[in-house]
Amino acid sequence: MPPILEAKNLTKRYGSTIALDSVDFEVEEGITGLLGPNGAGKSTAIKLFLGLLKPTSGSAEVMGRQPYSSIEIRGRLGYMPEHDCLPDAINSSEFLSHMAQVSGLPPSHARTRAADVLRHVGLDEERYRPIGEYSTGMKQRVKLAQALVHDPTIVMLDEPTAGLDPGGREEMLDLIRRTGREFGISLLLSSHLMGEVERTCDRIVVLEGGRITQAGAVAQFTQETQTLFLEVDDNLDELMEALAKHGIQAELDGASVVVQDVTEEQYDDIRDALVDADSRLRRLAPRRGSLSDIFRGGQA
Amino acid sequence: MTSERQGEIYDLGYQRYDGPREGRGRARRALLVNGIRSALGIGRGSRAKVLPALLFVAAMSPAVIMIIIASVTGPGLGVPGHADYYSIIVPIFLLFSAIIAPELLIPDRRDRVLHLYLVRPLTPTDYVAGRWSAFLLVTLAIVYSGQILLFLGLLLTASDPVDYVRENWLDVPRFLAAGFVVAVFTTTLPMAVAAFTSRRAYAAAFVIGLWIVSASAAGILTTCEETVVTTSTDGTVTVTAQECVPLAGDFGKWFALLDIGETPIRINDLIFGEEPESGLGALAQELPDIVPIGWYLIMTAGPGFVLWRRYQGIAI
Repeated sequence: MPPILEAKNLTKRYGSTIALDSVDFEVEEGITGLLGPNGAGKSTAIKLFLGLLKPTSGSAEVMGRQPYSSIEIRGRLGYMPEHDCLPDAINSSEFLSHMAQVSGLPPSHARTRAADVLRHVGLDEERYRPIGEYSTGMKQRVKLAQALVHDPTIVMLDEPTAGLDPGGREEMLDLIRRTGREFGISLLLSSHLMGEVERTCDRIVVLEGGRITQAGAVAQFTQETQTLFLEVDDNLDELMEALAKHGIQAELDGASVVVQDVTEEQYDDIRDALVDADSRLRRLAPRRGSLSDIFRGGQA
Repeated sequence: MTSERQGEIYDLGYQRYDGPREGRGRARRALLVNGIRSALGIGRGSRAKVLPALLFVAAMSPAVIMIIIASVTGPGLGVPGHADYYSIIVPIFLLFSAIIAPELLIPDRRDRVLHLYLVRPLTPTDYVAGRWSAFLLVTLAIVYSGQILLFLGLLLTASDPVDYVRENWLDVPRFLAAGFVVAVFTTTLPMAVAAFTSRRAYAAAFVIGLWIVSASAAGILTTCEETVVTTSTDGTVTVTAQECVPLAGDFGKWFALLDIGETPIRINDLIFGEEPESGLGALAQELPDIVPIGWYLIMTAGPGFVLWRRYQGIAI
């Protein structure tokens, strides 16, 4: 299946500043995280894919077309900006209906879509209230709704949880997951928060200083590692000795025992060592990697 | 009363849209319609409708008064008509346009809704053209309403309506052309100003200030100073002539163009073949016809270009 977004040798310069430096990556169906610190080039990449900026060189293609010159393809894109972008004076129903029409939908279809999408983002009851009266969380939902109202092929979300409290952030992430998994709309989520990307995305592209430093499936980065954690209630020293007798190299990490590069066969030896040391086992679990570990490793 | 179930509500979940997509054409039309609604305050609170309603009343009032005068005196010489209507309403339109036109541009930029437009199948030129056309259509509808009302009023008060139409039918294309001239002018200048500020009050104050300052400057520079020419013979002083010489001398007639409120009125006078009523108009009339026409084009195309240029490559 061809990629939805494709950056080919994409470069964007602002005067002498290089925002993106010859990057190549693809975004396929599903939820893709665009991760990186502030100034990494995430927003520039999104604006290039939206057609708001012209590449200095290379190309930013959406379904094989360049949105900077091919205006019509923008009707298949959705965009939720980080900043405020909503009019205060009109209600969300009218606003969404208008945005759907500006995306090319006929008026009658636009009104139906506006009602449907507002229901899906949980604003059904509030749709006739002026947007200016909404809370921050409700405004974020309207921002997402306007990006979805014309049923785009892909939606680009720029820091969608910015300004939300922890509860609101979880609700928004849940809505984003539903959009990607249940609604079948692909998403490109830009964020500098690794936890959000890890919990929400299928794949990640990591930008730093205008260059790609990592890219791949999130599961690839967070799969179970070969490190085993053991926690026991007593006889910790005896356990260390027993493990050594069984030929297992172990280290103490606080009150835990860490066994690196454990193999399938060594699990029996670890069980026997626990019996020999007469230690009561509280927890035995393989350690999972996290994105932050990967990046720490990558940056080292 | 029945306990039978009449129906059930099913949550079908999210439905993909597979209806028509009309692309850029629909986007442009949607923007135009939205602009007309914004200018008229439709879909907004009652306060947003007050100014457009006042503008309509202010635009209709001169037509009603002219009809009343014509009904009392009968249509004919000395009774104000279609040519005079625009002279009266241009200041009213300039004032209201200065206040209402920014409503079409400023909120989109201030609330950053503009970003959402430009990521859809619209270019900055589409956006500017849509907003400008929307306000132009509203202005045209109101100026033509006044002229149509006046035409019907004069027709009904005429002793012989058929004769009236036969003698005055040319007024219709004239007021249509002159109305277009007035509407383009009173739309473009306020919108160009509104493109540079985030507050409607600043835009309105600038246009009204520009209008007052330009009228004052033109007035000062074209003020006539009566020069008494005397001859003296045998000690007797005799006044033989009084000349009106503008302070700016021969350039006075050029400075008469400065008054922006007079700019479309001069074209109106040319279209109707009327003698200018104002002193400034009379001075400007000394210039070849091409000069006020050229000045009008500069005063509309200039702000129009500035408006268009402002939105090209606007920082998103």
